[in-house]
Amino acid sequence: MTSTETDRPERTAEITEKGPAGRGEREDEVVLGISPAFCSFFTKTISNIPLAEVLREVMAGVEEQGVSLRIVRVKDSSDLAKIAHRAARLSGSGIGVGILSRGTSMIHQKDLAKLSNLELFPQAPLLTPETFRAIGSNAAQYAKGESPAPVPVQNDFMARPRYQAKAALLHLKETEMIEPDGGIVEVDVSIRRAGS
Amino acid sequence: MASGAPRLVVGVDIGNSTTEACCARVDDDGGLEYLGSGLAPTTGIKGTPDNAEGVRRAAGQALADGGCRWPEVDLVLTNEATPVISGLAMETITETVVTESTMIGHDPRTPGGSGIGVGTTVALADLADRPVGEDVLVVVPAAADFEDVAEALVAAAHRGVGVRGAILGGDDAVLVANRLEETLPIVDEVTLVDEVPLGMLAAVEVAEPGRTIRTLSNSYGIATLFDLDAEQTKMISPVARSLTGNRSAVVVRTPGGDITDRRVPAGSIALRGRSSTVSVEVDAGADEIMRSLARIRPLVDAEGESGTHVGGMLAGVRDAMSELTGQRPDEVAIEDLLAVDTLVPQEVRGGLAKEVAREDAVLLAAMVRTSRGPMEQVAAEVRRVLAEEAERVLEVEIGGVEAEMAVGGALTTPGTGEPIVVLDLGGGSTDAAHADTDGEVYAVHVAGAGDLVTTLIDAELGLDDKQVAEEVKRYPLAKVESFFHVRHEDGTVQFFTEPLSPELFARVVVLTDDGMHAVPGRHDLATLRHTRREAKRRVFVVNALRALEQIAPGGTLRQIEFVVLLGGSALDFEIPDMIADAVAPYGIVCGTGNVRGSLGPRNAVASGLVSGHARRRRVSGAA
Repeated sequence: MTSTETDRPERTAEITEKGPAGRGEREDEVVLGISPAFCSFFTKTISNIPLAEVLREVMAGVEEQGVSLRIVRVKDSSDLAKIAHRAARLSGSGIGVGILSRGTSMIHQKDLAKLSNLELFPQAPLLTPETFRAIGSNAAQYAKGESPAPVPVQNDFMARPRYQAKAALLHLKETEMIEPDGGIVEVDVSIRRAGS
Repeated sequence: MASGAPRLVVGVDIGNSTTEACCARVDDDGGLEYLGSGLAPTTGIKGTPDNAEGVRRAAGQALADGGCRWPEVDLVLTNEATPVISGLAMETITETVVTESTMIGHDPRTPGGSGIGVGTTVALADLADRPVGEDVLVVVPAAADFEDVAEALVAAAHRGVGVRGAILGGDDAVLVANRLEETLPIVDEVTLVDEVPLGMLAAVEVAEPGRTIRTLSNSYGIATLFDLDAEQTKMISPVARSLTGNRSAVVVRTPGGDITDRRVPAGSIALRGRSSTVSVEVDAGADEIMRSLARIRPLVDAEGESGTHVGGMLAGVRDAMSELTGQRPDEVAIEDLLAVDTLVPQEVRGGLAKEVAREDAVLLAAMVRTSRGPMEQVAAEVRRVLAEEAERVLEVEIGGVEAEMAVGGALTTPGTGEPIVVLDLGGGSTDAAHADTDGEVYAVHVAGAGDLVTTLIDAELGLDDKQVAEEVKRYPLAKVESFFHVRHEDGTVQFFTEPLSPELFARVVVLTDDGMHAVPGRHDLATLRHTRREAKRRVFVVNALRALEQIAPGGTLRQIEFVVLLGGSALDFEIPDMIADAVAPYGIVCGTGNVRGSLGPRNAVASGLVSGHARRRRVSGAA
């Protein structure tokens, strides 16, 4: 299991684009969609969790369930529902996860209406590395046809006013990074300990 | 009886949970025309003045249904609503206790690797200091990162330490296993991993997916691994037994370690019959209790040992009844008991991973019935409330024994004839009445009905939510396989053109009248269905046979020809079939009643009250 981010070794994620993302054929896969500026312009979530750590936890959550993961970058949108839904439609199991650079996340399914979702994690400041592990784990369980209990999320009424301005700025920046003709590209992610 | 123009008569049946009414026109020579029916929840406890409000609503509905108005009403008939109070108590009679952390027998959803490993338990932090050649099982705290753990295990193996398996606190077993060079058994999600004794010989076993462990669930398997003699093998055998059916397990050999399957003293019940009293221990199980009960039947009273749950429950039922009727508690007699064996999930004491064992428990339903409730008070209150509606004083009559009325109503079911048996499947009790060809009616009431089924489902599934248990009881199940289709419990598939709601995705659902509701928890459809059907069988089928035996002429079921099922639980989608199947071998025609050919199992007593009145009128008119 994971501990707080302070005593974790620092890790970096290297993201290599592999070309346009296609539809998966394997039923045992989950597709993770990341936003335009994820691990490029931004390296941390709104609450300073390194994005490398976010990726690592989601990947671990999926792997622990024995399910495979493909990661794609949605370059032409900063809309979470769109990112998650497109990931789901590319996924062989029909299950996708979307994550924005500031941490806001969603689990989606291909047959759902875009604005609906299986699980939504709207308050990015309250998400911990453990939550991201659980998001990966639940997405993988849905892909296997299991019925996981939804990931528990905290609710803090103060989070909204406290982070609203920062969230708005981060969203503007993310939207600026959109490449309208960029489409969706499949990526390779390699995570290394800093300095190794 | 007065004669003259046809009279508008309203029959009202105050039941434990619902009040039913019908209205009819009865003419001078007993001619009868039913006009309408109504149904409302019973207000207050059956047989108390609080019932008047429910009577007003149900009767009002019946009148509206028949196109009549209150001022036209000539006579209101109500049943003699004798209150039946039932109580439920559950007593766990076994308990699994693990001492000195001998074993970890839980089923993490995703253990890692496979195979069996034997070695000395060593903390992750001390792994680097272990000598070359030693066989070890590594005990890993929850906070450790999976990559660090895998690296440490690989490094130790390279150094020549015999790493044979691992016990993890976190949910990381697959992650660690995927990063090792060889396949090792790894058990994870051991909540209290810090309490695993270190420096002891232990074994870890993980089976391939879809299989169960073979070595640690076998006494001789453990004996072989730990080199035990006959005496020690005897000691370890409960451990092996408790690990049966798991996909993964850990057994630690500690000097004083043990696991016991202890019987919990649960108190005794004294059953008093007409001539003798029998005392039976609750932990002897339901069969023994029911056998003792059959020996002394008819039951005059029952008393539980004070200071035990049973004692408390029986005293509670007695107190509730005495409060209601104004009788002294010692004048109130328990008239029937039903004991049911059940298995309830309970956390193992001394377990390290929140292991759950299915423990034996006995569920008891007790029933008290007064010979006569404060009916005059009820009638007075009904008179007062209805006078407000009709704006004049209405004639309210307490009409006859409920069982006779129920038979009268049941006989309006097409295809029935006397001799007939009516089985009223209610919430608190199951009532049976037998009418022979002369119209002589004999009735019995046995404890246990719908409420007991709900309690059984709740306890056995560990739901701890009566509302959910009630829905599992009442509605068929299905599994939502995609947003556009569900698979019903009978295997048929149903497609939808509109996508289902996201909360239902991949869940087992109950098909309620207002749509699908997800059943919380991890139970699969097969388990839910089996639990539901078994609970119904153990209560309703057992009670139906018990009641029929008591009222059948000469105690032989073959003497019964027709059984008509009435009451709320007769509307259930499977209980009537289960009972019909159970009595079919005796050549009994059994089915759900269809009162007046159109009302199903509802309204029998209310209709019976009115038809009884018409018959009396005919007789008096003829005289």
